[in-house]
Amino acid sequence: MNVVVEGVRLALGPSLLRADEGFGPVTLDVDADRWVDALTAASAAGASFFDFLTAYDLGGEGFAVVVHVSTPDAHDHVLLRTTVPRAAAVLATATGVFRGAGWHERETHEMFGIEFAGNDRLDPLLLPAGFQGTPLRKDFILASRAARAWPGEKDPADSGGRPRRRVLPPGVPADWPVATATAPAEPAGAVEAAEAAAPSDDRAGP
Amino acid sequence: MSVGPADAVGRPQQPPGPPRTRGVIALVEESCTVCMLCVRECPDWCIEIDSHVETTPATEPRARDRSTNVLDRFAIDFSLCMYCGICIEVCPFDALHWSPESEYAGTALADLTHERDRLASWEATVPAPSPLDPRGVPDPATARRPGTRA
Repeated sequence: MNVVVEGVRLALGPSLLRADEGFGPVTLDVDADRWVDALTAASAAGASFFDFLTAYDLGGEGFAVVVHVSTPDAHDHVLLRTTVPRAAAVLATATGVFRGAGWHERETHEMFGIEFAGNDRLDPLLLPAGFQGTPLRKDFILASRAARAWPGEKDPADSGGRPRRRVLPPGVPADWPVATATAPAEPAGAVEAAEAAAPSDDRAGP
Repeated sequence: MSVGPADAVGRPQQPPGPPRTRGVIALVEESCTVCMLCVRECPDWCIEIDSHVETTPATEPRARDRSTNVLDRFAIDFSLCMYCGICIEVCPFDALHWSPESEYAGTALADLTHERDRLASWEATVPAPSPLDPRGVPDPATARRPGTRA
């Protein structure tokens, strides 16, 4: 019996949309309007350990925001999840319940462009100053994929001649700019200019 | 994997890792046919292969010329590699192997790009394959061929 799940269930009633037992910790899907209420209920039910807050891109629907909390003694784990639309990616801040969520909201804000209403300290945390764009959105074009030619394009049979057939890199969306061995593609979209100029900026990092 | 005594800065002797340890990737050049599968499957684009085709003229009348892929460059950039092992899994000729050796830190990023000679030098550190499961498929070297007497 997971006391946190029962606590959130009692507090939210029908606003608890779904409880997915899954294979791991229970995932509770809640209304975005009741986000803070759900976190408060989980905390009141004993889940005082805040592990992380993060998000992931659902594509056209918007973003899912996930919080992992647990009880420090019995180790009852719960994932609380809500969705925000892509057009208006705004969610109430969790810092009123878990103060440590501040850093996680800063990271989620810079990586996904999700606003956390009530958190006025959403400064960049990991990205360099002046970085344009939200790198963990799926529509963000990776400069390193556009700036560098795919090494798999080479073929022993092509030595000296024209390629017989075009092989495309797996996992790279078809509408992304493609660099060839001779000319790097013009990176489209919101890509930091300095990063795009580097020949192989997968290496760029702290 | 260090097996020597404590070093000058006092790091303790490390016990050897298990045989499955993912330390570095070793290349057996003779087994590579330049099929490019590892390069194309690599999610990080960290393998680079240059090659060309050499043609051996036919020695007998009415025979065809034979063309062979010749490896010119094989490099793995361990500053990009995430040690997923897909290249090793996908190699149809077992030209790539895991070595438990992990002490190849360098002072420059370029030092982490291992060219073919350095990749080949790791081959000596590749552990022997684990023994076959006695209840599994019989060892092909000793298995009886169908249609022959035991």
